[in-house]
Amino acid sequence: MDFKVKKSIAEINEKIKDGSVSVVTADEMAALVRELGAERAAREVDVVTTGTFGAMCSSGVFLNFGHADPPIKMRRVWLNGVEAYAGIAAVDAYLGATQPSERNPEYGGAHVIEELVAGEEIELRAVAHGTDCYPRKSIETEITLADLNQAVMVNPRNAYQRYNAATNSSDRTLYTYMGTLLPNYGNATFCGAGALSPLCNDPEYETIGVGTRILIGGAHGYIIGAGTQHEPVKGKGTLMVIGDLKEMKREFLRAAVFYKYGVTLYLGISVPIPILNEEIAKRTGVSDAEIVTEVIDYGVPRRDRPVVRMVTYAELKSGSIEIEGREVPTAPLSSFYMARRVAEELKRQIERGEFLLTEPVARLPTVGETKPMKQTRELPLVRDVMSREFKVVREDASLEDVAKAIVKGKFTHIPVVDAKNKLVGIVTAWDISLAVAFKYNTLDKIMTRRVVTAKPDEPVDIVVRKFEQFDISAMPVVDDEGHVLGMVTSDQISKLVGR
Amino acid sequence: MKLLLRFPSHLHERPYTAEIILETGAKINIDRAYVDAVHAEVVVDVPDDKARRVVELFKERGVEVRILKKLIVWDETRCVHCGACVSICPKGVFRFDADWRVTLDEGKCVQCGVCINACPMRALALFYGEGERVKQQE
Ligand code: SF4
Ligand code: SF4
Repeated sequence: MDFKVKKSIAEINEKIKDGSVSVVTADEMAALVRELGAERAAREVDVVTTGTFGAMCSSGVFLNFGHADPPIKMRRVWLNGVEAYAGIAAVDAYLGATQPSERNPEYGGAHVIEELVAGEEIELRAVAHGTDCYPRKSIETEITLADLNQAVMVNPRNAYQRYNAATNSSDRTLYTYMGTLLPNYGNATFCGAGALSPLCNDPEYETIGVGTRILIGGAHGYIIGAGTQHEPVKGKGTLMVIGDLKEMKREFLRAAVFYKYGVTLYLGISVPIPILNEEIAKRTGVSDAEIVTEVIDYGVPRRDRPVVRMVTYAELKSGSIEIEGREVPTAPLSSFYMARRVAEELKRQIERGEFLLTEPVARLPTVGETKPMKQTRELPLVRDVMSREFKVVREDASLEDVAKAIVKGKFTHIPVVDAKNKLVGIVTAWDISLAVAFKYNTLDKIMTRRVVTAKPDEPVDIVVRKFEQFDISAMPVVDDEGHVLGMVTSDQISKLVGR
Repeated sequence: MKLLLRFPSHLHERPYTAEIILETGAKINIDRAYVDAVHAEVVVDVPDDKARRVVELFKERGVEVRILKKLIVWDETRCVHCGACVSICPKGVFRFDADWRVTLDEGKCVQCGVCINACPMRALALFYGEGERVKQQE
């Protein structure tokens, strides 16, 4: 293509060195392109800095502890009770951010990483087999970041180009990696920095590639490739990145806990985009209104969760969106405030001549999709284990009828149906005892109306989770219309699992 | 003004709150109530002009009264302004300012506790009067 504006990375670096470089953040660039047009913006701006600050679960650090005397070849190693992977030679380990502590599920790898950066002392414990060259079998010591030979952050998947938003159609609160999702579409959450996010500003990966120097956790680092699950065809690219933990600042790296989900790391990443021509300038002019993502219903516990609607980041950032005719409050999980600070930090470093741009040595793939896991053993479905012999009672049945149904059938739980045979409640042997004890004499006084049910095509694992969540031992299996097809009990399932 | 009332167990059965509403004509709103076998705690919202009288009357009846000046504690040094608290608070206590920084309107809080666990930085806690930080809800 013939461009009107042509610059090279080397020319921009010369400007950085002599202090004449012009740098703006990605949100400032969006306004400039709108105002001046892409060509003039490309003449005026040399570098656009992007930024993101949010949960980056797929992160961790390689640590080298140095050799002990007598030496040890660590087989397993724990840092403040959090296990790190030690299957890489004698005194190297990889500590993953989401690895939970064996003592406290609200403490994990991310906390150890944050404490290392803060200069705190960490307890190290390791065990080994003992060999002729590495005789030692165990060690306990205290270390700080300064004591380590290397502490290198290598993150397999960071900085998602865009991610789906989350909501919850079910009737109970869900605690997920997308935060707390209130029942009945009570809220919607989303992550990513929208128009400020690195890959949204270079969706064709023209300048962002292998070897691009970046700011990660406040330190200089590099992109070392496409991240895992990189899915360019769906606009869901990811980055694999590296950075020196010893140079990082706590301000840009924080341990976090998602309630009943686990530990993760919030990390700030800023990627510079050299404005080499007006096409690149145009793409960095992207606004939140142009970035579209799906709102997904986490109320459905399957991999292929339903898409409730499509939405732009501008709508998500407005504070509410409409779902099925109602106004649903929205809020992010990543920090726009911090994303901007990260982008501004890089802008400042470039202006001061402290950060030079690099020429990528290879491009990120622009094709490729993410496949689901290959499952060679079929999960049994509810229909494979449920009992088809069961008794139901009508809602106008007497308590004697219920008692008889319990005695004659093999279940202590009896579904209650209406005249059209649809499930309206459930009654148990325990409810009958209550009725006798308190002299209730009608079914509607004792039956439970909010019945937890299973669908015939659900995998049994989901039913097991429901048994645990609601602390129950049996549930009716119903079709989409609410007709009872069978019963499934925790006993049936434990027999199956115990197989 | 918000008050935290602690009823000793032997006072459970008496309709004190109703009596005091009738006696003072104060429009008392119950924000939150926690009752079990041994104690009862209620957070009420009382119009400022009637607050002194209402406090006196509860105290006369043997109810422990604390004035809740601060309902929710926010550790700003831990907060990263992510917004995980914003959409889940039923009272709209949290808002973003123009710079996408979270700000709190503490007076609106009813101490429902939802935000405590929703905050990934563990920057929020319920507050029950001076020097006492309530344990996190389960
Ligand atoms: S959820 Fe916590 S860290 Fe996030 S904005 Fe609210 S108080 Fe701050
Ligand atoms: S305790 Fe409830 S009302 Fe108070 S700030 Fe938190 S979520 Fe809002």
